[in-house]
Amino acid sequence: MSDKHLNQLIDILKSSGADAWEVADINEWGWEFYFIRHRLDQHRTKAVDSFSVKVYKDLEEGKFLGSASSRISPDASAEEMRRIVDGLCRDAAYVRNPFYTLNPPSGNEAAAEPAPLDMKNVCAAFLRAMRSLPETETESLNSYEIFVSEIRRRFMNSSGIDVTSVYPSSMVEAVVNARKDGHEIELYRMLKSGTCDPAQLIKELTEALTSGRDKLAASPTPALEKADVVFSTDPARELYCYFLSRLDTAMVYRGMSDWKIGDIVAPENLTLQAVRTLPNSSWNTPYDEEGAPIRDLVLIDHGKAVSYWGRRQFSQYMKLDSSFDVYNFAVSGGSETEAELRAGDYLEVVDFSDFQVDEITGDIAGEIRLAYLHQGGIVTPVSGGSISGNMSELAKTMRFSKESRQYNCHLIPSVTRLKDVTVTGC
Amino acid sequence: MNAPFSPYLARIAPGLKELISLLRQRYDYVSVLSTDSTGFQVSISQRAKSVSRDTLCTERGTVVRVYRDGLYAESAFTGFDPAEAEKTCASICAELDEQLDLLRECGVEPYETAVLPDEPQTIFTEMETGRMPEDEDISALVDRLTAVSDRGMEQGKARGLNLIDFTVRASSTHICKLFLTGNRDLRQSYVYSEGMAAALVAGEEKTDFAYTSESERFGPELFDHVEDRIPEVLRVAKDLVSAERVEPGEYEVITSPEVTGLIAHEAFGHGVEMDMFVKGRALGADYIGRRVGSDLVTMHEGALCAEDTSSYAFDDEGTPAGDVTEIDHGILRTGICDALSALRLGTKPTGNGKRQNFSHKVYTRMTNTVFDSGSSTLEEMIASVRKGYLLEGMQSGMEDPKHWGIQCIIDRGYEIIDGKLTGKVVSPLVMTGYVPDLLGSVSMISSDRKVFGAGYCGKGYKEWVKTAQGGPYLKAKVRLG
Repeated sequence: MSDKHLNQLIDILKSSGADAWEVADINEWGWEFYFIRHRLDQHRTKAVDSFSVKVYKDLEEGKFLGSASSRISPDASAEEMRRIVDGLCRDAAYVRNPFYTLNPPSGNEAAAEPAPLDMKNVCAAFLRAMRSLPETETESLNSYEIFVSEIRRRFMNSSGIDVTSVYPSSMVEAVVNARKDGHEIELYRMLKSGTCDPAQLIKELTEALTSGRDKLAASPTPALEKADVVFSTDPARELYCYFLSRLDTAMVYRGMSDWKIGDIVAPENLTLQAVRTLPNSSWNTPYDEEGAPIRDLVLIDHGKAVSYWGRRQFSQYMKLDSSFDVYNFAVSGGSETEAELRAGDYLEVVDFSDFQVDEITGDIAGEIRLAYLHQGGIVTPVSGGSISGNMSELAKTMRFSKESRQYNCHLIPSVTRLKDVTVTGC
Repeated sequence: MNAPFSPYLARIAPGLKELISLLRQRYDYVSVLSTDSTGFQVSISQRAKSVSRDTLCTERGTVVRVYRDGLYAESAFTGFDPAEAEKTCASICAELDEQLDLLRECGVEPYETAVLPDEPQTIFTEMETGRMPEDEDISALVDRLTAVSDRGMEQGKARGLNLIDFTVRASSTHICKLFLTGNRDLRQSYVYSEGMAAALVAGEEKTDFAYTSESERFGPELFDHVEDRIPEVLRVAKDLVSAERVEPGEYEVITSPEVTGLIAHEAFGHGVEMDMFVKGRALGADYIGRRVGSDLVTMHEGALCAEDTSSYAFDDEGTPAGDVTEIDHGILRTGICDALSALRLGTKPTGNGKRQNFSHKVYTRMTNTVFDSGSSTLEEMIASVRKGYLLEGMQSGMEDPKHWGIQCIIDRGYEIIDGKLTGKVVSPLVMTGYVPDLLGSVSMISSDRKVFGAGYCGKGYKEWVKTAQGGPYLKAKVRLG
């Protein structure tokens, strides 16, 4: 979007009667490739720009702060922009939230701008990696989609912030088939990253091909009633996102989480830290969406809640002055090896239909698409049925490995074991 | 009144037609979809209030689809200047050519597809609505929702509930879409609205979230009587705080229309999206003409088969809206299909080609997915259950078209023993099973039906679009955990 257009919008905001304002100028440039097996279904380009605008009004002499927001199209005329901003000023006057202030400049806004994305080379790396998987007659790719984009986000507010984040964001969605004796199954993978890491991509999808072979041989999951369940794939993230969400100021202020600083909220050896960057994460941005600088910050230290996190409004209500939105996090503290966690009888679920952890209730639930039942030294692939339970109970006996594994923006223990999970058979 | 078509789209239409004409010099098929959809969302609770002029479906932008040498390509962009059609054409061609060079370098072969037909057609639809979102008095709406939130808290406390908050949300979206080819000029404008009321309630052991939703293909008049939702929300809240865990096993159940809709959506909604047939990802392709449910089961899909949030005049590829009988008395008759998949399968598109927004690809997607009604009453159905549950409220679902597994997370189950509700509540419930077994077990269907359109549907874990689903009460056997 042109600077002229942005300056025009800022002039309109300054003369609108708004007591404060925020503008994000967002540009997404992307290339996409869609495949049916290895044949190209279609290819696409994307160049999408928009302004995201929020205006604020002081109400009742600073007791309340009203706000209203809207996206504005890049081809809006000055007249249209003024009409939208005037409407937002009217709307904001009806929204009586307790007063808070916008993020101030942090003083080190001049973050080095990264080199522009080499779109063609990154796409080539994805295309070549997907064609180099160890497919066989019986295990192969059914279809896949490749998305590569560069996000450029300039954020300005009336407190003087003017920062720009530029970061790559990519995704591969892949469906794997395995077949035997006329029977065919599929597994689904959605792999997000910054740019292409061919080795990691090939590793993840090779594992999926192996899982596909095992799913072909899977028996129906027996009704185990209560069992130890091991998580060693992507759904394990949901367990750790539960701990993160419960410390979000928006959750706490609105009463959806009752966690307090100083409480023991997780296993005693668990440490969860917000981190500014993780290798090749699609969220390696120096600032959050409200212009707050992102930094490393321990949120849970050896099981104890030590810091809340979150966006400006609710963080201010909770007396946090330098908070920010967390995108990348790392979990550490495991004292057992993967092998130790895999001792005895357990059910290792590697593929769910959709594993969910309810951040308000703590309820966990998911249908099993592929699991390995370890009983008396015998390993049996199983499928069907579901697991369920509640994190407030399960977290008390949760164990996790010292080894870790990164799933895009989350670095978590590679193996997590929950005790006494309800397993419904099929 | 009728929802007026976007003056912006009307203004840029001549420039888009010029763009099509220029692109046709290089490509064998060119279509353009331009969107200009506006709306609002107001959310009021005791602890936080917000007003936004955005909903998930507000957007303004353009996507161009082109075809040459058996291959389709698209370019999505914002900020089209009708006076700069030549420049836009050159930019689109240059970038798509750059992609083709890369694909050639990587040795990629196309999935060859025939060219789409381009028969002359004109549609201009401004659907009837009550009020327009852009004309809504936000001040009055904020006041009304605030009063409902206050009243919800008061009434909750009066009922002995430990309410933490009572949230009311209202959103309304005015959709305007323009679809053009060399021979076709389709324009539609309509409004839909969605409301949600929810109580955050603390029980002895955990905090829970009780909600109800409503939707209509009409304007913000939907919110004029939002206070009527309070008793229902408080009933659900009370039930949730007293709920126990279900003992895992197979049960006779009666599904409420909302749960029926979830089954329709996850079972044979996703299961017969025919872009999955092209990829060999759907078992349904092998079952056309075969029994997949009991004789009582009939299911429809289409923008025309109900009037709710996904009831449009034409889809995002310019195919007129349809009404498909997917299952007829237990026999799977057909699926739903976008235009490119129809070409590949040698069938006709059904008006189900949808995009998350202009910048996303088209997939075969659901619109309204609804079981037909039967002849039983709810009372008769409850009386027929020896041991089971009346299932109400949905949390989420996930499709599995390849294996016909189903996962539905249900909010609440009301115990039925010997034909009577006992008052015991279980929550949440994970309903799993094999779709033909579930539909084959349907033994009673109520004579009423209801459609719910306040949610969004993803394909896998992305591509979120508006869908509506529903039906009557069903009696079936399912596995609960």
